[in-house]
Amino acid sequence: MKRTSIAVAVLLLASAPAFADDPHAGHQDMTAAPVDHGESVYHLEGRWTDHRGADFTLASLRGGPVVIVMLYGSCTSACPILVHDAHRLESLLVGDVRKKTQFVLVSFDPVNDTPETLADYATGRGLDDPGWRFVQGDRAQIRALAMLLGVRYRDNGDGTFDHSNLITVLDADGRAVHRVEGLMRPMDAAATAVAGAAR
Amino acid sequence: MRNLLCLPALALAASAVQAEPVAIDGGTLQLRVLLGDSTTVSIAPFRLDATPVTNADFAAFVAASPRWGRDAAPSVFRDAGYLQALATAPADYPITHVSWFAASAYCAAQGGRLPTQDEWEYVAHESTHLEPDTYAAMLFAYYADPASHARRAVGAAHVGRWGVHDMHGLVLEWVEDFQMVAKSSTGDSAIGASCGDTARYLADNDPAHYVTFLRYQSRSNYTPRTTTSTLGFRCAYDIAT
Repeated sequence: MKRTSIAVAVLLLASAPAFADDPHAGHQDMTAAPVDHGESVYHLEGRWTDHRGADFTLASLRGGPVVIVMLYGSCTSACPILVHDAHRLESLLVGDVRKKTQFVLVSFDPVNDTPETLADYATGRGLDDPGWRFVQGDRAQIRALAMLLGVRYRDNGDGTFDHSNLITVLDADGRAVHRVEGLMRPMDAAATAVAGAAR
Repeated sequence: MRNLLCLPALALAASAVQAEPVAIDGGTLQLRVLLGDSTTVSIAPFRLDATPVTNADFAAFVAASPRWGRDAAPSVFRDAGYLQALATAPADYPITHVSWFAASAYCAAQGGRLPTQDEWEYVAHESTHLEPDTYAAMLFAYYADPASHARRAVGAAHVGRWGVHDMHGLVLEWVEDFQMVAKSSTGDSAIGASCGDTARYLADNDPAHYVTFLRYQSRSNYTPRTTTSTLGFRCAYDIAT
């Protein structure tokens, strides 16, 4: 609300000279009104490393749909199903949408899930596809990302994590536009959301 | 802009406030709320701010990191009440109306982090050592009306072991993992514990355990964007190994 009224005030001020017969009134620089991207997950700063050893920021994912999942490599119960669910979602995407969509799987475990471990995980499971990145960050970043996505987790201190199972679809600007909670859920609505975000 | 204008006043008044971190010995936390499989947690030594972070401290952070200003911080990181009291609150009072994201960013800028829930509970317990019924009575009174408490300078009372002040009775405090994570019955996913589950999670059914659970539960009801007039924080620091 405040932002709106400020924007209106700025517009009024900017247009005022036009009424004052000022020959330079039309030369005033008019910057485009900022689009409110306040809800974007990409405000989270910090660098991440993927299983190919590439260093990146979340903001660099901007421009296309992103499917984001949090898990950990040594997880044998829920996580393989979660990965399979993400794979099922990908299989529902067609043509250009599929090419534009990135799958980002972020580990809860900054200690054991090194890029090398994650590379083994990806290749061992046949998931080393171009659009897929298994990602490691530091503890504070992981917690902040989980908070942004609404993923709850606890480090049990023994290499295992209790965590919620969530697949989130981000639009081209990093806003969460669809969430799938739980395991083995239908992926049709998520695929529709990805397709919408790819436009 | 408004925040920037009030900074000189805060900075001038800030000289009396200096919350140096204090060393916390390692030890064992006997869990009073049982959410996972274990009943105890081993706590490694760390350092913790002796008092909650003050308005002056936070104003200095915002001055150095304008992206965390009241209007500048993206909405994904805070609700509409963010920093609404900063311009008017006394410099040495605890910062309130601060979201989890902003608190985390503040601590990171100091080279620290938010304490974990277990670390916070460990210090709260080890530094107060009240009789269970005294503890319960004190906290029922506090939690029934926390808004009447956040109205004094930090560090004025309640000095405990390790020189830690104000763990109870001034403001509620953010911790890194403030949301309850309980195992589901199938053990394969985490869920948020709800009100009806209370008895399941208490290590013992006495008022002291119940009032402790109230604290876990009220924390868990926040979202990371939440800001309130009764919720502040302090930072923890790892000890280099």
